[in-house]
Amino acid sequence: MTDGDRLTKPLTPGTKKLGEDGGPSSPTIKRPEGGNELLKRMKKVDPDQAKKYRQRSGQ
Amino acid sequence: MRRILAGIETEYGLLVEDRGAEDQIDDAMALVRGYPGECLALWDYRYESPRADLRGFQLERLAVDPIDMEFDKGRDHGKPVDVRSDRILPNGARFYNDHGHPEYSTPECFSLRELALHDVYGEHVVLEAARTFAQSSEREVKVFKNNTDFHGASYGTHENYLVPRSVGFERLYKAILPMLIVRQILTGAGKVGTESGDWCDFQLSQRADFFMESVNAETLFRRPIFNTRDECHADPGDWIRLHVISGDANMMPSCTMRKVGLVKLAIHLAEADQAPVWNLRNPVNSIQSISKDMNLEGRIELDGRSWTTAYEVLESYFAAAEATLDLDDELKAVILESRDLIELLKQGEWKQTRSKIDWAAKRNLLEDYLGSEGGSWKDTAIRAFDLEYHNIDREESLYYAIEEMGDVPSFAQWDEIDERSCGNPEGTRALARSIAVTKFKSHVHTACWRSITFKIEDRLVEVELKPDIIYPSHLRGAGDVETFIRMLRGQL
Repeated sequence: MTDGDRLTKPLTPGTKKLGEDGGPSSPTIKRPEGGNELLKRMKKVDPDQAKKYRQRSGQ
Repeated sequence: MRRILAGIETEYGLLVEDRGAEDQIDDAMALVRGYPGECLALWDYRYESPRADLRGFQLERLAVDPIDMEFDKGRDHGKPVDVRSDRILPNGARFYNDHGHPEYSTPECFSLRELALHDVYGEHVVLEAARTFAQSSEREVKVFKNNTDFHGASYGTHENYLVPRSVGFERLYKAILPMLIVRQILTGAGKVGTESGDWCDFQLSQRADFFMESVNAETLFRRPIFNTRDECHADPGDWIRLHVISGDANMMPSCTMRKVGLVKLAIHLAEADQAPVWNLRNPVNSIQSISKDMNLEGRIELDGRSWTTAYEVLESYFAAAEATLDLDDELKAVILESRDLIELLKQGEWKQTRSKIDWAAKRNLLEDYLGSEGGSWKDTAIRAFDLEYHNIDREESLYYAIEEMGDVPSFAQWDEIDERSCGNPEGTRALARSIAVTKFKSHVHTACWRSITFKIEDRLVEVELKPDIIYPSHLRGAGDVETFIRMLRGQL
C-alpha cells in the first residue's frame, strides 16, 4: 500500500466544510432518558467484548 | 506568566470484527488511509529523535513488547512511511497509524479549553475514519478512547508541553514527578481489575499498572512515570518538549483540562524554581498504590520512614503557585475546582464528584449496575461495560449516555467543536500549518510540528514555526505563497 500522489483528498478551501463531503458531521444520537434507558444500552453490550478485546502495545 | 504551548496525542483502541491484534497494523493503516475528509500525506520525519534522552545521551534502541514481536513474525507491513500513513489535517493536526493504533494528535494550543475542544474534535475524525473503514471492509468496527485491553497491553494518551531548555532536566524532573503520581486522583479514567500485582475490583487509573520505572526514555515497554524522550519539535537550543506518557485518556473534557492544567502548574513552578520538594521513597509503588486504593486515602511513602497523602502533595503545589505565580484565570479555576473535589474525596463523598471525574462516573455506573442487577466485579460483563464507557460512538458509548442524561454537564455545542475542523482562534503555530495545507497546499513539500517546507518553482524553502508566538489571523489574507512565507518570517 502506498500513498502515491502526495495529495490524498483534494478539496478547495472555502467551498466546503468538513462534513459536507463525508468528513466529520454533527452527531445524531438517540438520547437516553434515564436509568432504564442507560440499563437498556448496557444490556446491548456484548458481555464478552472485553474478553475478546486484544490490542498491540502502543506507546 | 508565560503561556505554555501544549498538545495531546491519543492512540485509540481498535476492535474489528473477526480480526485480531496480529491484523491491527494493517487495519489501522486502512482506517487512517480511508479518512474521508481533506488531508495531506506529507509529514516530515527529519526532526524526529525518539532515542534521544533529555539527560544528554542517546539510546541504542528502544525496547519492544515481546508479545508484539510474535504478532509480527512472518508479516511484512511495508515501508515504515507507508505503515505510518501520516496525514496532516486542515486544522494543523496529525492523524496516523502508531503501532496499530489510529492516533490523533491535536494542533498545539495555549488554553486548556481550546485543547479540550480539539481533543473532542479528534474523536469525530477517528469515528468518521472508522465508519468509512467499516463500510469498505464490511466488518463491524469499534473504536475506544482508553488505554488498556485488560490483557496486559497498553497504549498511550500523551501530553506535550513546550518548556524552556534552561529549566534543565533535574529541576523539571523533581517538580513534575510528584504531580504525575498524585493527579490521577482528580483525573484518572478508572479501570476494572488489575493487570499487575494483586487483584483489585476497581482502580483510579488505566495506566498505573504499566509503569515499571520512575524515569527513562522508553514508551512501548518498561514504561517510566517520567519520560525523558528529547524530541523537542522546536529549536533544541531553546526548548524541550515535556513528553508526559503517564496520563489516562479522558472522556470528560473537564478532566482533560484539569489533567493538563495540573501539569502546567508544576511546569510554571519548575521554571520559577518554586516547586514543593517531595522525596518519594518508591514512585512506582506510589502511583500503583494510589490507583488501587478504593478507600481514597492516597497514602505516599517518603524517604526517612515518613509518609504523606496525594491530597497534601496537590495542596502544596496549589499553595506554592498562589504564593509565587501570577496565575491566569484558567489555572486559578483548576486550583479552585481541584480543592472542591479534594474536600469531597477526603470526606469519602466520591459519588458527588461523578460529574467531574471519569473514574468516579465509571465507578458509580458500575456500582449501580451491580447493585440493581447483581453480579461481581470479576464478571466479564463488568469489564465489557468499562470498555464501552470509552466507545467514541455516541449511540453506543456509556460515557455519552450519561452525558446525554445530564449526569455530566455538556461541555460544548457541536458547532463550537466543529469549528476546530479548520479554525485556530488562538493563533498558535498550528494556524500557520493550517493555512499552508489548505490555501497553499500545492506548494507544500513537507510539514511537521516544527516547520513547513515549501516548493517554489525548483527551490525548497523551509520556514521554521516559532512555537511561542501568536500568528495573526491576517496571515489568511496572503495572496500568494511567497507573500505568506515573508509574513511568516516577519518580513511583512
